[in-house]
Amino acid sequence: MVRFLVRSVVSTIITILLVSIGLFVLIEVGSGDISVKILGVFSTPEQRASYRAQLGLNAPTWQRYLDWLVGNDWRAKSRMTYPLITLKNPKTKEVEWWADVDGQATRWKMDKGELKRLVRKEDGFSKVMPAESDWIKGEGTEEFFWGVDNRNNAVKFVKGSGEEVWVLTKAGLRKQGDGPREYIPLRKGLIRGDAGLSWQYNRPVSMILKPRVRNTLVLAGVAFVVVMPLALFFGILAGINEGKLLDRIISITSLGATSTPEFVTGIFLILIFGIWLKVLPAVTMFTSSNAIFENPMMLALPVMTLTAVELGYVARMTRASMVEVMDSAYIRTAIVKGMPYWRVVFRHAIRNALMAPITIIMLHVNWLIGGVVVVEVIFGYPGLGKFIFDSAIFGDFSAIEAAAMVTVLIAIITRLIGDLAYTLLNPRVRYA
Amino acid sequence: MNAEAAANEENKSEKRTKPSLWKTISIIFESRVATIGMVMVAFWVIVGCISLVWTPYDPNSSDFIQNLSPNATNWLGTDHMGRDLLSRLMQGTQVILLKTRLPGGEHSIPGGVAIWGVLGSLFLGVILGLNAGYRRGWTDQIIMQVLDALIAFPQIVLYLVVIAALGQGDMVVILAITITGAPGVARLARSLALDIQTRDYIRAAETRAESAWFIMFREILPNARGPLLVDSMLRVGYAIFMIGTLGFLGIGLPPPDPDWGSMVNEARKYIFVNQLPVIWPALAISTLVIGLNLFADGLREELMRYQK
Amino acid sequence: MEIIKRKDRKDAHPYIPELKELYQKGRVTRREFLRNATLLGMSAAAAYAFISPFAPKKAMAAAMPKRGGTWKCGMSLQLIDHPARLSWTEGANVVRQVSEYLSDTGPDNITRPWLCEKWVASEDLKTWDLYIRKGVKFNDGQVMTADDVIFTMNEWLNKDVGSSMLGLLSYWGGPQNIEKVDDYHIRLHLVSPNIGVPEHLWHYPGVILPRNFEGDFIKQPVGTGPFILEEFAEGERAVLKARKDYWKMGEDGQPLPYLDKVMYISMSADAGLAAFQSGQTDVHYHPRPSDYLALKDNPMAKILTVDSSYCYPIRMRVDLPPWDDNRVRTALKLCQDRKKTLQLAAYGLGKLAIDAHISPAHPAYCEKPIPAYNPKKAKELLQAYASEKGLKLPLKVKLATKNDEAEPEIAQTLKQTALAGGFDIKLDITEAGGYWDRWTEVDLGITSWTHRSIATMVLPLAYTKESIGAWNETRWYDDEFSALLKDAEAQLDVEKRRSIMCKLEDIMQERGPIALSYWVQIMEIVNKRVHGMEAHPTHMHTTLRSTWLDG
Repeated sequence: MVRFLVRSVVSTIITILLVSIGLFVLIEVGSGDISVKILGVFSTPEQRASYRAQLGLNAPTWQRYLDWLVGNDWRAKSRMTYPLITLKNPKTKEVEWWADVDGQATRWKMDKGELKRLVRKEDGFSKVMPAESDWIKGEGTEEFFWGVDNRNNAVKFVKGSGEEVWVLTKAGLRKQGDGPREYIPLRKGLIRGDAGLSWQYNRPVSMILKPRVRNTLVLAGVAFVVVMPLALFFGILAGINEGKLLDRIISITSLGATSTPEFVTGIFLILIFGIWLKVLPAVTMFTSSNAIFENPMMLALPVMTLTAVELGYVARMTRASMVEVMDSAYIRTAIVKGMPYWRVVFRHAIRNALMAPITIIMLHVNWLIGGVVVVEVIFGYPGLGKFIFDSAIFGDFSAIEAAAMVTVLIAIITRLIGDLAYTLLNPRVRYA
Repeated sequence: MNAEAAANEENKSEKRTKPSLWKTISIIFESRVATIGMVMVAFWVIVGCISLVWTPYDPNSSDFIQNLSPNATNWLGTDHMGRDLLSRLMQGTQVILLKTRLPGGEHSIPGGVAIWGVLGSLFLGVILGLNAGYRRGWTDQIIMQVLDALIAFPQIVLYLVVIAALGQGDMVVILAITITGAPGVARLARSLALDIQTRDYIRAAETRAESAWFIMFREILPNARGPLLVDSMLRVGYAIFMIGTLGFLGIGLPPPDPDWGSMVNEARKYIFVNQLPVIWPALAISTLVIGLNLFADGLREELMRYQK
Repeated sequence: MEIIKRKDRKDAHPYIPELKELYQKGRVTRREFLRNATLLGMSAAAAYAFISPFAPKKAMAAAMPKRGGTWKCGMSLQLIDHPARLSWTEGANVVRQVSEYLSDTGPDNITRPWLCEKWVASEDLKTWDLYIRKGVKFNDGQVMTADDVIFTMNEWLNKDVGSSMLGLLSYWGGPQNIEKVDDYHIRLHLVSPNIGVPEHLWHYPGVILPRNFEGDFIKQPVGTGPFILEEFAEGERAVLKARKDYWKMGEDGQPLPYLDKVMYISMSADAGLAAFQSGQTDVHYHPRPSDYLALKDNPMAKILTVDSSYCYPIRMRVDLPPWDDNRVRTALKLCQDRKKTLQLAAYGLGKLAIDAHISPAHPAYCEKPIPAYNPKKAKELLQAYASEKGLKLPLKVKLATKNDEAEPEIAQTLKQTALAGGFDIKLDITEAGGYWDRWTEVDLGITSWTHRSIATMVLPLAYTKESIGAWNETRWYDDEFSALLKDAEAQLDVEKRRSIMCKLEDIMQERGPIALSYWVQIMEIVNKRVHGMEAHPTHMHTTLRSTWLDG
């Protein structure tokens, strides 16, 4: 048992690594210029270059993957004058990076060629103080300073270097080359619990992802609770009536339901119940983050859509399994020996017949997640599926990675449960 | 699961039964379910073949008033662009079942996207599965690890990212079907191989010092044919389903030739005005998938009965 | 609509009297007069009073606005962090309820002062004086002064912020050309003359921020606007609450807004349509032609429309064959059946266009006949080209576009109508993001160009030598065209400008890089209980401050 668990954990970790690398490579090849997507098509090339630098996109590919995995604060720390700290923003609860300057949380910015300290106040905002003394002498006339800016980047500010372009300002002559030069977008890395920053929303992925995962678990959970008893009931009913009219009706209906794509079912349910009859909310409107609990009727149509597809599938599986068991020698023997029919069915047949569908259902979860994407897109349901869909269309690296990790975990956990259940239920496998 | 069960049943007899093609076909007609299924599938194949040479009107030309309901001229009505829905529905069969457009758009090859996708996953899955099941040990470990990762990989992300990388195209959808289907096929092939390799005739081949590839493909594969065939039938159904879903999400097969998925996608905007352009392709997908399911079900049952 | 008491200007722009004269002689239209007079600093009220001195003082509205209620709209919600970095109108719709602009371009395409009390342009249009409105407070209690405005302008012009204002305001020449005269007076010293300054100040990333703004609007939603940001959940919803001490009064003498709450709920266009029809939302944002069809007979829907310069030009890369040959370009232009396109793509809603990126909604548009569908002539031209190059007809070309609004329909229609003209068009339609990744690179494509209030805002962006490498997707430029365009930018005289426009239109039609079938009619579809909303050519919700609900 211990060996089994250890092996499962190791295999899970390898799987996650493989998936994350696979995704990284695909996104690397697949997505266009993120800065254009964020800044719009009317941004200038300089602006895009600057934005890419701020996202750390000009670092080499392997480095970006490692940064995502193990973080890069240790890389920034070695260059900075002051130690790095993380604090929570009192309003949004986001984790922010600051530098600790004699006990005061500080960031920096350059304003009209002058370095300024932004010293954090109680409310999370900061007051501006001069910071000219922070400059460090570099090569030649250059002065530099590694600080933190208010976008959670470690930044190398540079003064008096590079291009000798002088611009006449109201404040006098000023060198154009001054300003932030190099960026390290600070993060702790996935293995230290930091899923990174979503480019699409410019927020920590974990903060956006948590409610989405919860919403999807609620939707899938409710659907599961609705589907399972119904599907098992109909499947068993059809199975013990094999070949009779009832079996035909159940089998044909469930085959028809499974073979109708979710998007068709969903759209027509909206049309009928939401718009023509106006008895159920047509789409899920999250007017507050707990809308599904305040107005559970919103879940009715999405759950019905998922039910239509899943019910048929599980019922068919159960039926097939039931037919097989009812046909087996020991059940036939039991009946021939004169055991009451219903007792045979309930005590022996059903227990054995459920084994196959239960393991199938567990393996089926990934397919279910695909179905959830479509349902979430149709009903505007802010869940994991829609999040993945949106992030993939945007090419939002950290977001896809994090969401994929969640789905991988779900898939692996359900499979483990399936394996365990099967092992426990079936003695032949246990000792194999 | 049931396919695997069928495999076990099949091999219980320990005899090297290599059912001939004719026998396989005659099996189909022994089962009423399989016959019905086959008729449904054949209907669409025939519709597709007809559409290769004739459709009532040009499927891509806006010759009629927009959003007409069914009438004497347009039996199934017209869509939002004033195109004949029957013609489009007929032609929609082609890309799914009958032809694949090669990149560049100049040529196409016979066999639809769903068919090639399933063949692809069959090819990849069988190679991986047989190797894992026959060689066992480290090969098995590594292959299964990779397959686990592939199974756990969120499929929708895979499509989206692959399509973002390579652009929309028939080949991309085939690739997506291949990659997502392969792990399932491989698992099935592996379990079949694990079972079959304990047979005496494998021993015999090994003592003859046949190569591993020969044993896998000449000895094991023919005996695993039945379950794999049944599984593939179901997979074609999934693939059509998926093409529809991808089309609905707007990332399926490229225009202009209609396929059922992109017909749904285009018509979706107009669903509140005119439901028919969504209903027809949806019905087409459903009937074809049902047909394939029935076909596979009947085939499986007959195979099992036959082997008993 | 707005009645702002104001002393008569002593420093009216010298061109205004001439403009008045031209208008009285009937040589400039009513709209052109209004637009130009207001840009030059005349108040909108005065300008309207001048053109219709005897007009009744705004007929009493049938009903007094009612207060209270929550206004809901389904709209996709994307990134909001630094308002100056906004690149989507959806985000701007949220931000603009909290923060405001120096000017305000109304649905009538007239720009009025807003946080600016007034502006004064020098005769050469190179020096602009902006007078900041006094007594306006941010929602955190700070008083807005020139310092806030200058801080904001510096953010626009800082390349590390990444604002699209930077490109638009390139003629400002950088932050050093902004001068603070006093706490409520700013002077701009432009590098080149431009009459569009007030309109540019209304560009949607241009909201005025407090001087201590730290770069994230969600953490610091401080602005002068009528609403306060109560909640913002990425990709889910934005909830805005009425502010009690807004500076502008409503018709009932109390501070605006009338609404208690504004709620944007993130959803796709399809889900939004369903939500609107089931009565879950009050507004269907950015309706597509299909949505119009679905809702036009809906008893609870009210359809607001406005003409615009929003369009879907079919643009050809003139640096690549076959589009480098004007005969091929002309042939494709002749292959447009404009009426059919308008019918198939927009159900006849919109205005037929000529093949020039100058719209009848633009002031100084020069009226031209709409070219007819002529596949025969197109084929002749194409035949000449093909035999010269040793090619065979039909000419095979690939048309790329996005499956977004009306583009697929336009593409399909062109594919069909161009067949008779000798083109065999292959369509390459991808999702919107996929097209925006390559929109400047494809050789033949349909790009959507958003509404811009004047032609001189769009032409330099896309049809000059300087813009190659940026937004000149066709690589087309023409020395004569560019010279005329420079003239137009600095030309005050409306009549002269129109004659320049005439020539510009001719050049584009004759040898330009785009084929254009129609101009979009912008719609806003609202529930009948919504009052005081107007459709705006940019799809911006500009009038929520005075919107109210009945029932």
